[in-house]
Amino acid sequence: MVKSLVKKREFTIFMIVVVIAVVIAISNSVFLRPDNIIDVLKSNSVIGIMALGMLPVLISGGIDVSVSSTIALCAVISGKLLTISGANLFVVLIVSIAVGAAVGLANGLIISKLKISPIVATLGTMSIVLGAVLYWTNGEWITNLPEDFKSFGTATVAGIPIQVIIFIALIAVTALILKYTLVGRGVYAIGGSTSSAVRVGYNVDKIQTLIYVFTGMTVGLAAVVHTSIVQQVDPNTFTGLEMDVIACVVIGGASTMGGSGSVTGTVLGVLLMAIMKNGLILARIPTYWQDIVVGLIIVFAVSIDVLNRNREQEKLVRVDVEE
Amino acid sequence: MQTFLEIDHISKTFPGVKALSDVHFDIYPGEVHSLVGENGAGKSTLIKIMSGVYQPDEGGTIRINGKETKIHNAMDAIRQGIAVIYQDFSLFGNLSVAENIVINQVIEKNRQVLNWKEIRKKAAEALRIVGADISPLETLENLSVAKQQMVAIASAVAQKAQMIIMDEPTSALSTTEVETLYGIIEKLKAENIAVMFVSHKMDELFRISDRFTVFRDGQYIRSCKKEEIDRGGLISLMVGRKIEFDSLANPVQNPEVVLEVSHLSKKGNFKDVSFELHKGEILGITGLVGAGRSEMVQALFGLNRPDSGSVKIDGKEAHIDNTWSAVDAGIGYIPESRQTQGLVLDKSVAENIALPQLKKYTGKFGFVNRKKQKETVGEWVEKLDVRPRNEELLAMQLSGGNQQKVVLAKWIATNAKILIVDEPTNGVDVGAKSEIHKILRQLADQGTSLIVISSELPEILAVSDRILVMRRGRISGEFVNKDLTQELIMDKAVVS
Repeated sequence: MVKSLVKKREFTIFMIVVVIAVVIAISNSVFLRPDNIIDVLKSNSVIGIMALGMLPVLISGGIDVSVSSTIALCAVISGKLLTISGANLFVVLIVSIAVGAAVGLANGLIISKLKISPIVATLGTMSIVLGAVLYWTNGEWITNLPEDFKSFGTATVAGIPIQVIIFIALIAVTALILKYTLVGRGVYAIGGSTSSAVRVGYNVDKIQTLIYVFTGMTVGLAAVVHTSIVQQVDPNTFTGLEMDVIACVVIGGASTMGGSGSVTGTVLGVLLMAIMKNGLILARIPTYWQDIVVGLIIVFAVSIDVLNRNREQEKLVRVDVEE
Repeated sequence: MQTFLEIDHISKTFPGVKALSDVHFDIYPGEVHSLVGENGAGKSTLIKIMSGVYQPDEGGTIRINGKETKIHNAMDAIRQGIAVIYQDFSLFGNLSVAENIVINQVIEKNRQVLNWKEIRKKAAEALRIVGADISPLETLENLSVAKQQMVAIASAVAQKAQMIIMDEPTSALSTTEVETLYGIIEKLKAENIAVMFVSHKMDELFRISDRFTVFRDGQYIRSCKKEEIDRGGLISLMVGRKIEFDSLANPVQNPEVVLEVSHLSKKGNFKDVSFELHKGEILGITGLVGAGRSEMVQALFGLNRPDSGSVKIDGKEAHIDNTWSAVDAGIGYIPESRQTQGLVLDKSVAENIALPQLKKYTGKFGFVNRKKQKETVGEWVEKLDVRPRNEELLAMQLSGGNQQKVVLAKWIATNAKILIVDEPTNGVDVGAKSEIHKILRQLADQGTSLIVISSELPEILAVSDRILVMRRGRISGEFVNKDLTQELIMDKAVVS
């Protein structure tokens, strides 16, 4: 009985992941090769990190579409720091996370204080940030990253790429925050019922702001991780990334109406998207199809969620009828 | 013995309305004290003052354990030992039972890191005191309403509440669940917790209360021990609101039946509802809030699909699956909350009135002919005496009474044969109320058949030709409006 519903949902996603993996493995022997698997994990660690940041937003009933612009900003700043002043990795990481946090803070304050709906607020910041980045860089690439950063990009621990290690570490941190901190529980409470959250005494404005700051921080982290993988910065490469990120979290069982979502589900959602894309690439299906497939999956996952809710609403007893 | 809570000379004024006027209430530890009164008597306002949601007007006093105090906000009320079980429980469906019970305390103590073992232990302890057989690990939304209520009570107990306010706690419970709730209330009494109980149901009021306090129209009427009063006595204290309207009832019934509803049922909404509506008649439907009145008429307008039963219009079977088919069948519906359901507030009076029949004003290419629209609409603004007489004003710029006239005009303009009006004078001042009553009567005289839902007994008695009383989803009484009293109707509305 314990959390049977949530567990069941995650189990379903897990089974889908397994089935798709088996199908791809049968049709293409490359899929299960260790180097392919490690490659898939490495290249999807960026989306994974951002999905973990997006998770609390969706649980709280919000959405953040500005992440694709914010990661462009953070990546450009990281790239410039690395090439111009040759700052060390640690400083670059801190600055990138701080810049992400600043954009998140702006989003959080606009949403919690001005009561502007999350989609509108983050669409606004998305446009502002991307515009600023393109004005600043003229869309030019940053290459010639220093050698020691290149070696960081290819570093491994026990054969596992550093980017995957960072992803795994963030999985643990996010899970702990959501499960064991009052703020983390507040995220679920706000998503369940904002008015009840106010009544029991949660500082809803503060928690909402922190949620978007957390998202921004993960984006700052993801920017450095991404740069370490591709070893260059292309300010235009991130367009549309927010849809992939949101898709992973929604496929992972988070409701777009708030209240539900888990780290386990989100990780499974990331894996599902990762192997699907890999399968399409291995089958030499044009990359445009990936977007179509991603779109279809989002519509499918959200429709199921909405239909379930409507059915539950319909079942609600409104009047205690005398039998 | 020292009272736990004592309030004196408390008033609460909202813009234009005095919700509470110089009221008194007190309660002792371990006592069940019921607050009784009709809809709109001021019970909810008092609860909100006690729970810190509203601040009372200057001048009154609140004492807790004999000491004068103020209740600044919801958290403050909890800190001072007052917990409210709201009708919606204020719980989180997506969270575990344990978290729902204990989270208040975690927040209160500002513990930033949670100890789940301790939370589960505390929750289990509170559930034990209440005597509820519920696993602390269960997700709340998987529980029945009755069990969710137990969780809410357990939460109050876990917060060391000394007084628990229960607002209509039995309204969504089955008979056996109500028995369980009585058992829980006994356990609370044994723990010396005071229970303030709000209910309309006579049997349970007399079953569990130690004392009653009656409010009427925001005023304190009387407090007495259970032994000092009987059912009839309590009802007559509750009713008899002073506002009187001129009776507009028409004693002559047109034999032509325009609407015939037979055995209409929908699970969890209403059951076995049958009635007829005659041409040019005003049929009043009353009953307590939550009796299923609105749910039932929404079924007639295609907003709430019934499970079984039939609806005949002019003797022919009508299939009303959505609002379009209802409008085509000649039915108009004016919902209760005109601001959210009846009007587009930031559009002009003219646009609002024209809305249900835009097709009439639409030219070849689908554009609205504003001139034609304005002419027709102007006629209605004049007929219904909407003030100020300017159809270009935005709906939000009008007073409540005039907004309601616009909503009426909007549907009257469709020439509906049958007009359903839910709480036509909700939030409207007394003068505008009588005007609206007259408009309803004029419509009936012109041959429209009306169903008027109202919780206000004086209003129902003033406008209706016949009156149906609903109780717990069923029709519990039917009267011709002749020599009727509020007591007779109330008797059918409350559960015996």
